[in-house]
Amino acid sequence: MTLTAQDLLFYILGGLSLASALGVLLMTNPIYSALCLALTMVSLAGLYASMQAWFVAGVQLIVYAGAVMVLFVMVLMLFDLKSEIKAFSRGAVAGFMKLVAVGLMTGAFLAAIYNSADTLLGTSLAAHVDGTVSTKALAQLLFGKYVFAFEAMGVLLLIIAIGAVALSRIEGGTHADE
Amino acid sequence: MSSGALLPVLILAVMVLTFGALLIVGTGLLGPRKVIKSAAKEMPYECGLPGQETKDTKVSVRFYLTAILFILFDIEIIFMYPWAIQYMDSLKDGSGGYMLGVMGVFVGLFVIGLIWEVKSKALDWK
Amino acid sequence: MPQIQLGLGVDSTETIINVIKMFALFLLMVQLVPLLVWVERRGSAFIQNRYGPNRVGPLGLLQLLADAVKFLFKEEFRPKKGVAFMYYFAPIMALLPGALSFASIPLSVPITLQGENWGPYNFVLQGYDLGIGIVFILGISSLGVYSLLMAGWGSSNKYSLMGALRASAQAISYELALSLSLVGILMVYGTFSFTEIVAQQQGPLTFNFMGQQQVWSFLPNWGIFYQPLGALLFFAATFAEANRLPFDLPEAEGELVAGFHTEYAGFKLLMFYIGEYGHMLVASCLLATFYFGGYNIPGVTPAEVTAFFASYVGEGNLSQILTAVTYHVSLLLRVLLFLWVFIHVRWTLPRFRYDQLMDLGWKTMLPWALFNACATAVILWLFQS
Repeated sequence: MTLTAQDLLFYILGGLSLASALGVLLMTNPIYSALCLALTMVSLAGLYASMQAWFVAGVQLIVYAGAVMVLFVMVLMLFDLKSEIKAFSRGAVAGFMKLVAVGLMTGAFLAAIYNSADTLLGTSLAAHVDGTVSTKALAQLLFGKYVFAFEAMGVLLLIIAIGAVALSRIEGGTHADE
Repeated sequence: MSSGALLPVLILAVMVLTFGALLIVGTGLLGPRKVIKSAAKEMPYECGLPGQETKDTKVSVRFYLTAILFILFDIEIIFMYPWAIQYMDSLKDGSGGYMLGVMGVFVGLFVIGLIWEVKSKALDWK
Repeated sequence: MPQIQLGLGVDSTETIINVIKMFALFLLMVQLVPLLVWVERRGSAFIQNRYGPNRVGPLGLLQLLADAVKFLFKEEFRPKKGVAFMYYFAPIMALLPGALSFASIPLSVPITLQGENWGPYNFVLQGYDLGIGIVFILGISSLGVYSLLMAGWGSSNKYSLMGALRASAQAISYELALSLSLVGILMVYGTFSFTEIVAQQQGPLTFNFMGQQQVWSFLPNWGIFYQPLGALLFFAATFAEANRLPFDLPEAEGELVAGFHTEYAGFKLLMFYIGEYGHMLVASCLLATFYFGGYNIPGVTPAEVTAFFASYVGEGNLSQILTAVTYHVSLLLRVLLFLWVFIHVRWTLPRFRYDQLMDLGWKTMLPWALFNACATAVILWLFQS
């Protein structure tokens, strides 16, 4: 049995992403949870890169690990929810909702795996994909076949930008006096 | 650039983390043994006054707004990257005008967003 | 016992050399810090009509060694209210972005060494070539914010927290201008790979004008001639990313004591500085690679340089190594020049106020970077058709 660099990477990064994802759930302090989630994002980026999806890995690193999770960590650190460590509510209704959410999530994952199993199992990884070449192929698809989805996403981002500003300017709320 | 090309990055990351951890442990071992502990020394740093550390610091909402807007613009910019490296090839095979139009619309939306942020004073720090 | 193939080289010798090379690159970054601190202290002393450190060793050069030893033997201290894990992990994290980015930048031409009963080994003077260099560096450096936030929160001090908050808001704001200013470079070169970008900057200035190729042989084919505005924006944004004056608001001592590292002392503080100088080093290397021809020497090709050395020492490994060293020095000269600019600017420009800083990032540099990208696209389109 030979262990290639590819296998090693898979085991290391897979283990890391699983462990940190568990950490998100098991940590009682929300800040550690958020940091664990950031680590999950980084190891996912590593997994993408080990599957030769270089640009997707970069986007995962820049957008999720470097932007979205930074916002999470920033907000959590500044509110410092020490008194609200039990922020995750307990109760019959909440428990039921949690079960429903977990069930939906599991169903979605199983469906995704079931539907893609045929295409995934048949294909093997190319030994060598150049990041620039594959990104150019991505660009041809994105700006050719899927150009309307791309422009629609531009509109969506614009709406979010306007919405975020509008929300932040609402008067009142818990800290209205400041 | 083979399929294991990421491995050196991991190796280097582990090296750097070990190096840093060793230094921190090392300074702990090398430092003076007899350490004078006092309440004043272990207090959070403050300029002469007793520290008034309240835990629920209120921070301007602008910091969060900045972070949210950063995420949005970051996503828009990252979409320009595949476009940018494809652009020269498209110019050579004649579809450059189309590519320019596609990105023109997208950048137009970007500019509208940016103008909105500036006009609505969301980016003012006064 | 499974057999492990690391894929780092054709045999174990090359693998070992490649691993050692990576660590050597990291040490190169670390050892540059005391040297730069000396240059900074000495240089700023001369700018301010002082002497600076000149007692320990020749020109005060051993001062840095003495400082490092002092840092090592300082008392271990942790604020009682602080969070131990965050407090200790933040300075270690500060080392990562600089080290990982620096290792992905090519420092010289690749060489092939061969002996009678070994080789041929292909060596690149860079830790690893991922092929998507620019995206990798942007991704890795965006992780630097975590170190700041962890330091600020782990110290449980309001100055640290405010400093960390300012620093991270500043870092993410200028990251936009930084990544947008690189779009022009990507358009001109059409690749993410540093090696490719440097290779394209060889030879005289060549461009298409109205469908006809123009060659200006009196200028080198450097990125600065295609992207002057992009270069300026990139350079300015890297100052903010490295928290250097005039953008060192996070540690504005008049307001925030020392910012996010208020509670740090000894080697832990030094590790933040290693991170900061690592940022400067990476920024200077990138500036040279994107806009100033990388390791290229104007007027000659690597093959000519190898032939020149071969005429003195004969064909073979020695001429290859001499070529690599020459090209490395060529890059190093530019990098040192930019590092000096970093230091000189510190004593030339005053610090911004925080609202001015955010205004500059969002309302001035971001629109100009956008303009640069649009103008590049339109001009390329006009010139090509």
